[in-house]
Amino acid sequence: MTDDERELLTPRERSSALFALLLAAPEGEERARARATLIELHLPLVEHCARRFGNRGEPLEDLVQVGTIGLIKAVDRFDTDRGVEFSTYATPTILGEIKRHFRDKGWAIRVPRRLQELRMSIATATAELSQQLGRSPTPREIAELLGVEIEDVLEGIESSHAYATLSLDSTDGSDGVTGSMLDSLGEDDAELEHVEIRESLRPLLEELPPRERQILVLRFFQQKTQSQIAEEVGISQMHVSRLLTRTLSRLRSSID
Amino acid sequence: MQPDAEVRVPAETAYVAVVRMATAGIAARLDFTLDDVEDLRMAVGEACAMVLSRAAPDGSLRAGFRLSADRIDVEVSADSTVSEPPDPASFAWQVLTTTASDVHATAADGRVTVALSLVRDPAGQPA
Repeated sequence: MTDDERELLTPRERSSALFALLLAAPEGEERARARATLIELHLPLVEHCARRFGNRGEPLEDLVQVGTIGLIKAVDRFDTDRGVEFSTYATPTILGEIKRHFRDKGWAIRVPRRLQELRMSIATATAELSQQLGRSPTPREIAELLGVEIEDVLEGIESSHAYATLSLDSTDGSDGVTGSMLDSLGEDDAELEHVEIRESLRPLLEELPPRERQILVLRFFQQKTQSQIAEEVGISQMHVSRLLTRTLSRLRSSID
Repeated sequence: MQPDAEVRVPAETAYVAVVRMATAGIAARLDFTLDDVEDLRMAVGEACAMVLSRAAPDGSLRAGFRLSADRIDVEVSADSTVSEPPDPASFAWQVLTTTASDVHATAADGRVTVALSLVRDPAGQPA
């Protein structure tokens, strides 16, 4: 088959012709070329899979890269005798690699879109109601405003805890903070000076990123509520809760 | 304590999330504010960690809740061979006493227990 003829084939026909070649050809340049072409041919499939995980805080290129590893595995393992399309066979392998990437990063494996949207609505509703009521709202009040069940509100909040890692260098668009998190950090060290902290605890606290430390001090040494901290630091109450939970588990593991 | 609600899971860190979720669910049902719900969730999580660090392997972790209109009393416990109760000078203890009221810990009769309460703040009431 010449290159010209190849161009006339549909991707699917081209794919099966290449697989036939890959399986029949002996080790060598021709085989390697068929393999490379197959991988290239199916890159759009990887991109498609990676896009499903967009907006989860990981760069799309990284997802495409790990997804491509899945694609290569699939090309090497594909058996034309099974009678399934290659794309059908490859998709779970590609998705598997991408999910593994999230897992390795300590992120939730899969937070469905519905929950992501809910999480955003809850954050907005919480801010709105706090303003209106002059206190932290109850989950029921949030549920009523959004027209959902209390359980949905709790599930939405829980899903926000699942987002475990967020680099301090990344921007935090969801809370309306501009610039990177590091930019928004203020005179936190002054706060440490004015509270009584046992000496044994200081080194641990000093190891924390400035914002985590600031929130921790405000909460546990100056007894501010999460809502008050949210207002003071300029992030959402849910984000305060998330950072506190994460900092506590970090401290726990360093104390152990 | 005779609990109104009880969650029992294997004494493993992986199950703490289940206990925390149940805690948040109960506090939300009783119309505590989100600040309170999140505080109690955090306190119970911390209590679980405290208890688990002293728990005997293959035992169970138990969280019992007593519910009333103005407060939730929680007892988190596990089978344990340690007779030292959690250290009140630790940071974990500080977290507990900030996020919850009436915190106390015991280690006796092969069981380690951390008890804490969430008390409704009369000033921050939903109408």
